Amino acid sequence: MSNNKMDIEPTNVDPAAAANASVVDPEIFESVQKQIDEDSQLRDELKGYLKSMDRQARQISSILSRAHSVPSSALPQLVASTQSIFAEQKVTIGQLAEAASKYPYYKYNNIWTRDIQNAVFAVIFARWLVGKDGKQGELMTIEEVGEALGIPVNIKDRDTFHLTIEEYLQSIITLIEELSRLAVNSVTLGDYQRPMLISRFVKDLHSAFQVLNLKNDILRRRSDGIKYNVKKIEDVVYDLSLRNLVPSKQVEVEGEAGKA
Amino acid sequence: MPHQPHQPRRPRHEKDNEQGNENHSETYIQPAALANNPFMPMFTIFRDELDEHHDRRERVIKASRDITALSKKMIFTMQRSRSLYGPQPLFIEKDTAQRTSQIHALFTSILPDLTSGTLNSHRYARNISGGIQEYLEAISFHHYLITGRLLTITQAQASLPEGINLTIEDYFGGIFDLVGEVMRLAITIIATTPLDKEGGGVKTPKILGDLRVMRAFFDSLDTRGGGLGKEVEKKMGVMRTCVEKVEGAVYGMLVRGSERPAGWVPDGSGMGSGGRGEDEYDDA
Repeated sequence: MSNNKMDIEPTNVDPAAAANASVVDPEIFESVQKQIDEDSQLRDELKGYLKSMDRQARQISSILSRAHSVPSSALPQLVASTQSIFAEQKVTIGQLAEAASKYPYYKYNNIWTRDIQNAVFAVIFARWLVGKDGKQGELMTIEEVGEALGIPVNIKDRDTFHLTIEEYLQSIITLIEELSRLAVNSVTLGDYQRPMLISRFVKDLHSAFQVLNLKNDILRRRSDGIKYNVKKIEDVVYDLSLRNLVPSKQVEVEGEAGKA
Repeated sequence: MPHQPHQPRRPRHEKDNEQGNENHSETYIQPAALANNPFMPMFTIFRDELDEHHDRRERVIKASRDITALSKKMIFTMQRSRSLYGPQPLFIEKDTAQRTSQIHALFTSILPDLTSGTLNSHRYARNISGGIQEYLEAISFHHYLITGRLLTITQAQASLPEGINLTIEDYFGGIFDLVGEVMRLAITIIATTPLDKEGGGVKTPKILGDLRVMRAFFDSLDTRGGGLGKEVEKKMGVMRTCVEKVEGAVYGMLVRGSERPAGWVPDGSGMGSGGRGEDEYDDA
C-alpha cells in the first residue's frame, strides 16, 4: 500500500492534529514506568523479609510438631527451645512492618498476610501447649498476639502495619485443625485427658465462630470446615468414653457440656 | 462406626443437631452456653467489626456498578460522534457533563470508605476498580475525541474526585479499553465516510497511527515485577488484535475502496490475526 493513492498519506492530516506528533505524551511513559518500577522494587524488598519469615516459620513448626509425639511433661522444654527462633522472627516482622508502613496498608497486605498468619499460628499453638504458667489449653487474645509479635493489632484510625481480625481468626482455624490431630495423637501417647480438654476448647470456638456473619470469602470457607474437626475430636472422645478410658472428672464436665 | 450402642452416643447426637440448626441464626446461642463460653465476648466484638467491613464493601460494590453503567452510556453516546479532534456536538457534551456529575456524586457518596491517607484507602480497591476503569475509559475517550491525545495519568487522577485513588492497574485497564473504543470508532468512520470526501481519507490514518503509537507504548513498558501481572498480558493481546483490525480495514479501503459497491462495509477481521478478543468488538 505504498505507491499510489497518496491522498491518504498522514502528511495530509490537519495542522492542529499534526502538531501533536505523538498521541502519547512522553510524560505518560515516564510516570507509568516509574510507578511500575517503584512497585516492583518494594515487592522485592518485602519478599526478602518474607523469605526469612518463611524459613523461621518452618524451623518453629518442625520443633512444635514434635508435640504430637512427646508427653505433656516434655512440652515446656520443647516450647522453650523455640524461643530463640521466635525472637529472630520478631525482629524480621519488625523490619517488614517498618518497610510496609511507608505504603498504604491494604495496597500490599496480600503479599505478607499468609506469612503473618503462619507466625500467629505458631505463637498461639505454642501458648496453647504450655500456657502462661504451665496450664494447657489457653487461647491468646489478639492483643497478646500483637505483643508477642511486636506489632499493633486491629488498627482503625491510622494507616499502618498491623494484625487484622481476619488474620487472627484464620490462625485460630489453623490451630483448631492442629488440635484435632493432636487429640488423636494424645491417645496414642496414652494421654486420655487432653482430648477432653481439646474437645471443650474446640467446641467453644466452634460456637463462637457461629456468631460471625461471614460473607463468601476465604474465612467463611475455612470456618465452614471447623465442624469436621469438631467431629473428628468427638469421635476420639466417644471412643474413649465408650471404653471407660476417660478420667472420671472429665466425663462429668463433658456430660454437662453436651447438655448445655 | 456402625456397631455403636445407642446410649453413650445420644448426647453427641443432640449436640450435633443443635449445631446443625445453628448455622444461619444467632438465636440458637442459649444464654447459658454464652456464659460458659469464654470466647463469646471477643467474638461478639469481632462480629460487629466484620459487619461494618462488609457494609462498607457492599456500598462500594454498588457504587462501582452504577458508575460502570453510567460510563457505558456515556461511551455509547460518544461513539455517535463524527467530528474528531475538535469540539464535540452539543448532544455529546451535554450527555458527558450530566453523567460525569452523576458519577462524581457516586464517588463522593463512598468517599468515607475509600479516602486516601486513611487505613481503608486500598482495602476496597478491588471492589471499586471496575467502576474506575470504565469511567476512565469514558473520559479518556472524550479526551481523545477532542484533543486526539491520550489522557495522562496525572490528568486521569485529576478527573477523579479528591480522595479517590487511581492505581496504575486501573489506569492501564481504562486505557486498554479505550483502544477498543477508538478501534470501533475508526471502523465506523471508515464504513460510513466515502473515500473521496475529506474526513475518512485523512483522519482514519491519524486514528490508525494513534492506535499504533499506543500499542508501541504499551509494548515498550516493562511491567514485570509489579502487581500488574496476567491481566495486563491478556489485555495486551486484545489490544494488538484491535490495532490489526483497523490496519486491515484501512488496507481494504485503499485496495478496494474505489471499487466498492454502495453499502459495502469494510471487514477488518479478515485482515488481522483474528483470535482473542475479537468477539468483544464484533458489533463494531
